[in-house]
Amino acid sequence: MSALLLQTKGFGVERGGRVLFHELALDVVRGSITVVIGPNGAGKSSLLLALAGVIAHSGDCLLQGRNHRAVDRNEMSRQIAWQGELPPTEFGLTVAERLDLAAGAFGASNRAHAVEAMELEALLHRTLGELSSGERQRVEIAAVMVRDCPLWFFDEPTAHLDLKHQQRVLKLLRDAAAEGRTIVTVLHDLQQASAVADQVVLLDGHGGAEAGEAAGLLTSERLSNLFQVKLQSIHNDGHSLLLPDYRS
Amino acid sequence: MSRGVAALTVASVLLAVCLALGAGEVWINPLHPLSDMERTILWELRLPRLLIAFAVGGLLAMAGSWFQVLLGNPLAEPYVLGVAGSSAVGAILTLMLISTSIVLMSAGAFAGAVAGIALMMAFVHLGSGRLLLAGVVLAAFWSALITLLLALMPNRDIGLAFAWMMGDLSTSAIPIPLLLLFWFAALIAGLVLSPKLDALLLGEKHAMLLGVNVSALRGTILLLASLVTAVAVTAAGTIGFVGLVIPHLMRLVFGSLHRYVLPASAVGGGLLLMLADSAARTVIAPAELPVGVLTAMIGVPLFLWLLLRRN
Repeated sequence: MSALLLQTKGFGVERGGRVLFHELALDVVRGSITVVIGPNGAGKSSLLLALAGVIAHSGDCLLQGRNHRAVDRNEMSRQIAWQGELPPTEFGLTVAERLDLAAGAFGASNRAHAVEAMELEALLHRTLGELSSGERQRVEIAAVMVRDCPLWFFDEPTAHLDLKHQQRVLKLLRDAAAEGRTIVTVLHDLQQASAVADQVVLLDGHGGAEAGEAAGLLTSERLSNLFQVKLQSIHNDGHSLLLPDYRS
Repeated sequence: MSRGVAALTVASVLLAVCLALGAGEVWINPLHPLSDMERTILWELRLPRLLIAFAVGGLLAMAGSWFQVLLGNPLAEPYVLGVAGSSAVGAILTLMLISTSIVLMSAGAFAGAVAGIALMMAFVHLGSGRLLLAGVVLAAFWSALITLLLALMPNRDIGLAFAWMMGDLSTSAIPIPLLLLFWFAALIAGLVLSPKLDALLLGEKHAMLLGVNVSALRGTILLLASLVTAVAVTAAGTIGFVGLVIPHLMRLVFGSLHRYVLPASAVGGGLLLMLADSAARTVIAPAELPVGVLTAMIGVPLFLWLLLRRN
């Protein structure tokens, strides 16, 4: 089995006549965590959706060596689980029903583990509309966990979460990768990114895209230029922290 | 299903059937020996009417549940995209230009509904919000056309046109066995689509990532729901409210998954229309009230009570 699970060549996405990014060359190996970083509107969420075949793209994307235009929706859904926008609440779905839908025809061998990890036991029979944004986010993380797919895509998985659950989700990503799961995730928090990333994709918001080792791209110089803010690099306990000055 | 819900379901079915068969200008006790006249009333008038009400109510409720998911809008109902309006235009044009026969008017209604569906299919590729907007605008167009036709219509035919539009369960232009077959076929088709409809409850992106071909599904649902509405309207005219309230009511009782909501709506819509028709025939007997008025009068308090109870 090849270590390379996902590969893009000349990959780009255009929305509403604007090129979000182009010519992205990305190699994603099994059991790795790839973090997508960039300013608002740079195309981070669109990158995940394009990799999952949900929206159109230019260039090629190979999923386990096969061009993913040749992979049908059903097969794609067995390969990729996605956490993105929160589902609508109008139809009164309960948490248990939400997890059942995520498992669908794919089986739910990981359901108990997902419910326990995201502390959903007491919420199972409540409707999504009755939950806070943070609780709904935990449900969505669990909805990815119940799927036994080789690739997990997360779009800001720590958004809405309190510190305890942010930490828990990041640990979950690291543990899943250590067990061989391959993860591509959008993160806004640079400390979180540097805590989990093996590889980073930087989208600059002007059409540029670059992928590389986390150590090479998560530097104060690169990120200060990317976000147009001054970042300080502080070394603490063997780790380097990138901190913006919110008072400037 | 809990025992309470099962008991409530059985009791509702028995009550609706007993009322539909027993109530009316002549009250009939189905547990007593029947006279010849009562037997005739029961078999030739009330049983056919019960079956028409059951099938039409079920069809409208199923169509309502599909339109709500298709448009991602809990306020959607079978007539939201203008199928009722286009079928009424077909019926009225038939009345004005061809015949006053109810059978021919119903045929005209079906032709109008099909024309409306064909027009609507041109907009299915739009997202839910724009499709809804297109439907509302088309419904307004059909409504204006109906008003124009009524204004041009000879006075003697206006009563007939209004009677058709208010809905009538006393006869059906579609033979009852065929109507029941439509009900059954729609239920089976809906159950086959249930897993995909459930995925669509999460939104289009989630549905695609669960393996659903969303654009094909949207086209299929629009066609199926519109055809089912067209059959219901052709059989009994435009009867409102059932298609809006029953799917919600069933979600409150049975949860949101379509393998429960759809059969529950197919039966629940039928029961509500049977009850409403019994009341419409009885309240001011020997005259009859429009059944649509009664569907609202029974459905609204029931729905509000369940909403409060759930809260």
